[in-house]
Amino acid sequence: MPLLFAHLMQTGFGGFYDGVAHLFLTPSDLLLVLGLALLAGQQGPQGGRLLLTLLPLSWWIGLAVGQHWGLDFTLALLTTMLFSSVGVLVALSLRLSPLLLAFTVAGSGLLFGLINGFTMPSAASGLPLDVLGVVSGVAVLSVLISAQVAATRSNGFCIAVRVAGSWIAAAGFLSVGMLFKAA
Amino acid sequence: MVRRVLVPLLMLAALLMPRLVSAHDLFPGFLEVQATSASTYQVLWKLPLLQGQRLPIAPRFPDDCALQSAPDSRQEASALVYRAELSCREPLEGRLISIDGLASAGTEVLLRVRPWQTEALQTLLIQPEQPEAVIPTASEADQQPGVWSYLRLGIEHILLGVDHLLLLLGLVLIVRDGWMLLKTVTAFTLANSITLSVSAIGIVQVPVAPLNAAIALSILFIGTEVVRFRRGQTSFTLRHPWVLACGFGLLHGFGYARGLAELGLPHHELLLALLLFNVGIEIGQDVFVVLVLALERAFRQLQIRWPFWVRCVPAWTIGCAGAYWTIETTVSLIKGGV
Repeated sequence: MPLLFAHLMQTGFGGFYDGVAHLFLTPSDLLLVLGLALLAGQQGPQGGRLLLTLLPLSWWIGLAVGQHWGLDFTLALLTTMLFSSVGVLVALSLRLSPLLLAFTVAGSGLLFGLINGFTMPSAASGLPLDVLGVVSGVAVLSVLISAQVAATRSNGFCIAVRVAGSWIAAAGFLSVGMLFKAA
Repeated sequence: MVRRVLVPLLMLAALLMPRLVSAHDLFPGFLEVQATSASTYQVLWKLPLLQGQRLPIAPRFPDDCALQSAPDSRQEASALVYRAELSCREPLEGRLISIDGLASAGTEVLLRVRPWQTEALQTLLIQPEQPEAVIPTASEADQQPGVWSYLRLGIEHILLGVDHLLLLLGLVLIVRDGWMLLKTVTAFTLANSITLSVSAIGIVQVPVAPLNAAIALSILFIGTEVVRFRRGQTSFTLRHPWVLACGFGLLHGFGYARGLAELGLPHHELLLALLLFNVGIEIGQDVFVVLVLALERAFRQLQIRWPFWVRCVPAWTIGCAGAYWTIETTVSLIKGGV
């Protein structure tokens, strides 16, 4: 049983809010979006714009593919390593080339979207509101955080961002350890 | 080229969206069970109608319970109301009541229970993911604050009410500064609280069909005002959006009250339930407004320069949805008579 994964939860407010809640109640997804938002924000407004363009789009494509093909695997180790690595990059406050950032964002979005897709049955009819909820949640959370990080230049805030990155990395490494122990 | 392709596509999407989403009506089912003796009960069941069709849900009582006679039924504006006497071999307290069909109906049921030998009414919310509830005993009913369900219903009503959210979005989009925003949101809040209260208590009654048409028209109107604002034009409402917010707040308050009226308010906890429902609505509204403002600020911080046609998308969406609902509700008004 993979760690840090959750099935689509029901808020009682309908599919859209179930999708939003899914993002916020799935620690691995939440930590990845937080990490990528911090990382993109560290690259400045351009990084934030790139994140806003690529992450929701790649997440949505991954989700659609995952729902359509319904492959039953979760790649727990890979996803945990991925958000841990993003956390390390944030903690190191590295400047990335736009191409590398785009590759990281799009790859992560596709992978996590794909895994989300496995846990969400596709809507039999009408709008896939849960998918819309997840993608909206990803877009809103990433744009709010990356914009704040990109706009704030104080030393204290930059340190706080790096500390947050180190916590994300630490949570990831802890999960990797638990995965190996569980195996 | 991009503009030539995307603009018609977005307009088409804006025209189709209201059909897919539809304006939200808060009509959870409502089941009231009041003990008249140790094992007999007065049952009131309000079955919601969605666009005139009854929802496929029904309460299921334990097998040893039976109706003493055929239920009395009457039709209200958006619900079928059944009243019946229920008799059980064993008391219902501590046993399960379930709602058949709730898991797929996309709504909830508010269950109000008065067990034998208590005056306390216990309110429970039965949800699709767990379509059953245990009837509380008299001592449990005396202790539990079930009226808090109304807070959740208030939040739910605003978060699922696409029509109300579009109006709020329009109001936020035509406001120029923070002070005016505060005045506008306060005016909207006060106005809808007034009409929600007077209507829910029964002081003022507004017919449903004209009310729906007027609410739809308010959304269409705000859509045109957002377009006017985007073009740099001005009008009385753009200079004083709080006046518009006040007027439309009064209107939408009646809409909120209609949903609440369908549920019925418990007499002994009327003010508290009304207050909690209203607070729930205000929480939902404020969360939405804060989110819109935060996104607007984030876009500025990221120095995103949207093309003009993208900046017009919210106005088109609000206007097209308002136009669609106006036509739909007006047709239904004409068909059904005032």
